[in-house]
Amino acid sequence: MIEVQNLTRRYGDLTAVDDVSFAIDDGEIVGLLGPNGAGKTTAIRMITGFLPPTSGTVIIGGKDLEEAPVATRRNIGYLPENVALYPEMRVSEYLAYRARLEGMSRAAVQEAIVSVLADCLLEGVSRQIIGTLSKGFRQRVGLATAILHQPDVLVLDEPTVGLDPKQIIAIRELIRQLGSQRTLLLSTHILPEVDLLCDRVVIIDRGRVIAEGTPESLRQSWQGEVVIRLEIKNAVAEASQVLAAVPGVTDVESAGNGCFELRCRPGSDLREEVFRLAVQRQWTLLELALERASLEDIFVRLTTGDAGEVVQ
Amino acid sequence: MNGIRVTLGRELRAYFLSPLAYIVAALLLVINGLTFGIILSFLNDPRAGIGAPLEYFFGETIFFWLVLLFITPVLTMHLISEERRSGTLEILMTAPITEAQVVLGKFLAALIFYVFLWLPTLSYAGIVAYYHKVDWGPVASGYLGILGIGALFLSIGVLASALTRSQLVAAILTFALLIPVFTFGLFETLTNSQGARTVFSYLNLWQHMGEFSKGIVDTRHLVYYASATAFFLFLATRALAVRKWR
Repeated sequence: MIEVQNLTRRYGDLTAVDDVSFAIDDGEIVGLLGPNGAGKTTAIRMITGFLPPTSGTVIIGGKDLEEAPVATRRNIGYLPENVALYPEMRVSEYLAYRARLEGMSRAAVQEAIVSVLADCLLEGVSRQIIGTLSKGFRQRVGLATAILHQPDVLVLDEPTVGLDPKQIIAIRELIRQLGSQRTLLLSTHILPEVDLLCDRVVIIDRGRVIAEGTPESLRQSWQGEVVIRLEIKNAVAEASQVLAAVPGVTDVESAGNGCFELRCRPGSDLREEVFRLAVQRQWTLLELALERASLEDIFVRLTTGDAGEVVQ
Repeated sequence: MNGIRVTLGRELRAYFLSPLAYIVAALLLVINGLTFGIILSFLNDPRAGIGAPLEYFFGETIFFWLVLLFITPVLTMHLISEERRSGTLEILMTAPITEAQVVLGKFLAALIFYVFLWLPTLSYAGIVAYYHKVDWGPVASGYLGILGIGALFLSIGVLASALTRSQLVAAILTFALLIPVFTFGLFETLTNSQGARTVFSYLNLWQHMGEFSKGIVDTRHLVYYASATAFFLFLATRALAVRKWR
């Protein structure tokens, strides 16, 4: 549905997006991850047709964005990073304006407005002037604008920023619903959101794609050292040394109160050995857990790893 | 067409919702009313020559030009610069609409609001008609001149607004561009070269208005306004297509 080929954007000497290629299938939800300044927003602006690329092509629904900009943009719903709206308009007025801009008929406009007001939890403020709305409400008006004309492709740049926790849950639920019928490109800083919503992740850093795959496959391929957490009732003093002697354990950290963290060789699962050892020594195990590498770890490692400059 | 119509509708609505527009309307009415009153009392004096009040009103006074040079930047300064500054341009230009449609829609909205600002002056013609026979031809051609020169000035304002993200810069730039466009033709009386005089005469807006107010419709003038307007709007379209990085 979305095909990005060798997309590059330069600003003078600075290359903000450098030869980025990826494809998104119909009905897929793909997360675009990257630290601040990685080129996410620039990439998204080129994909939505706001910014012309220095080179490369964007094909959406089989149409080349450069050759048929208006027809292609009709197929995209876009929520920008900074949701800017006309402050003097009322919410329903603004949505009607946007719907007509998308070329919807008079009858379809009213129907669409009623439906998005309900979807985006905006029914209570439809008569309110946009300038008086809080950030969370404006964000939702922006989202309503993006889905108003029922586009096949949705591009959301940080959709849950500025919402309260209850709204975040509601909007994530909405995004999940939308994603079941549409192709969705989601840029976010919030990693659990990616885990929760996305089928696939594209990680970019300094303008380049540095990793791509499902959250699960990324986790597997980037799993570094394994951590086992355990808690022993009435732990004896030498427990640390005993644990460190287990083959495969590289380091033991005692957190007090009988809690330990064992760092083990990558790819290993030493829970069984630890359990046998505990039985042998007659320790009472209160907890024994394998910690998975979180997407966050992978992200931090990827974006700070190879090259020298550290991004946060 | 749809893009132009929708943009036009939104901008026109925004004009009528903005306090600035009413300040401009009030100012225009005060200055025009004063000018018209002074012209009437001047012509009422038996010592004054013979002339139609509206002819004086459209063609003869500097007030007309001062008002025109002042209100154009105010009407156009926000049109595109504000979309750039606030970021609404991003969501506008990712909708299925072209740069040309945006520029035309906004320009037409400004032109319609400009016409609306002049509408109350029709009552002056009514006042004169109440006391005396009015020759409506020159009145109509006078308004034609106002429309043509207004379109030219507004297109310059739209271009300036497309070049910057600051309303203030847009207004000052409009003013800076309008001054030469307005004064250039005035050199007609300050040159002895026949060729230069022809060129300056072609650009002399003050003299154009003088002719329009007498009922002379010179199509060369109208062609000048229309082609210059189209040229500035084309430049505005190109300027809008340039998207700087923030």
